[in-house]
Amino acid sequence: MNVLIVEDEILLAMELSFLIEEVGCVDVGHAMSSTDALAMAADLRPDLALVDVHLQDGPTGIDLARHIASDCGVVALFMTANVKRLPADFAGACGVVGKPYSEHGMKAALRYLDICLRDGRAPGLAPAGLQLAPAWAERWGLGDLPRIA
Amino acid sequence: MTTPGFLSPPTRRRAASREGEGAGREDLERALAEKTALLHEIDHRVKNNLQLVSSLLLLQARHAADPVVRQALRAAQARINAVAIVHRRLFQGEDPECFDVAAFLRDMVEDVIGGSGRTDIRVTLDLERTDLPTAQAAPLALLISELLGNAILHGFPDGREGAITVTAAREGDQLRIEIADNGVGVPTTGSTPGIGQTIVKHLCSQLHTDCQVADAGPGVRATVRLPLDGVR
Repeated sequence: MNVLIVEDEILLAMELSFLIEEVGCVDVGHAMSSTDALAMAADLRPDLALVDVHLQDGPTGIDLARHIASDCGVVALFMTANVKRLPADFAGACGVVGKPYSEHGMKAALRYLDICLRDGRAPGLAPAGLQLAPAWAERWGLGDLPRIA
Repeated sequence: MTTPGFLSPPTRRRAASREGEGAGREDLERALAEKTALLHEIDHRVKNNLQLVSSLLLLQARHAADPVVRQALRAAQARINAVAIVHRRLFQGEDPECFDVAAFLRDMVEDVIGGSGRTDIRVTLDLERTDLPTAQAAPLALLISELLGNAILHGFPDGREGAITVTAAREGDQLRIEIADNGVGVPTTGSTPGIGQTIVKHLCSQLHTDCQVADAGPGVRATVRLPLDGVR
C-alpha cells in the first residue's frame, strides 16, 4: 500500500520510511504540518497516512485525520505518546500506535493494516502495539472480539 | 433593616472573606491544572525523545557496512527499546507510581521474541497480575531484555527450534520471575563475560536481588526474586 508520513520529527520520519519499504509498502511522501499534509493527501491519495498528533503547526493531527477522511477518503493511523487523549471515534482514523513504538511493533501494524485495507477484512486480532478504532474493528469483522489482544 | 442593594459592614466583611477563599481555591485549582498539564507535556517529550534515540540507533545500524557493527548497534537499540516499553505504558494506567508487571512482561516478550524473527521459538506465558514500584521498571526491563535475549541467542543457536516459558508468580512477599528455555543449556567451558553478563549482575544488585541460573535439563532456567514490600 502507499503510505504518507505526517511527522514533524524528521529523523523519525526517515526511520518510518525504511520500515514502510521493509514491509513491502511504498513511502509516497512526507509532511510536517497539517497544511502540507492536507495538500499531499489530496494530491497523492495514499492508502494510509501515518499521522503524529503533534505537528509543526501544533496539536493538529486529530483534525487533520478528520479532514483527510472526509475530504479525500484517506485513512489515518495515529502515532502518539498519549493514546488516552484521542477522541472516542478516533476522528475517523483506523487506529493508533502508541509512542514510543518498537520497530517490530510498527512493522506488524503496517503489515496487518495492509491486509485489512486490501481485503476489507482483518486477518485476525490486531497485533500488540496497534489499537484499532471501534468503527474500523467493526467494519473489518472484529465486532465481537476485544480490540486489543 | 438594611436598604436594598446596600450591604452592612459585617455582611460585607463576611462576603469579602468568602470571595477571598473562593479566589484562593480558584488559584489553587488553576495551579494544579497547570502542573498537571506540565507533567503530561514532560511525559510526552520523554516518549518522543525515546522514539528519537531508538530511531537514531536503527538509522545508524542500517548505514553500517560491517555486520558486526550493525549487530552491536541493534543490540544497543534492543536495550533502549526495553526502556521504551516501560515508558509506553507509564501514565496510561491509573497509578503513575506503580506498573503492571504482567502487562509489561507480555510487551517485552512480544518485542524481543517477535523482533528476533524467530518464529521457530514458542513462548508460554504464566503471569500473575502484580504491581511493582515505577522506579524499578527501567532496571527490570533491561534485566528481562538481557535474559530473554540470552535465551534466544544461547539457547537456540543456528536455527534450533524450541520453547521459552516466562513465569511471574507471587511467593509470599516476593515476586518470582523466571525465564526458562529448553535449549542447549549452560556452556560448560568458561568464556569471557560479555557486557550482557555484566549488565545482568549490576542490574540485579540495583534491584536488591540476584539472578539464579540453573540447569533446566534440557536448557536453562534464570530466576529473579523481587521483594514486594506491601504493593498490590
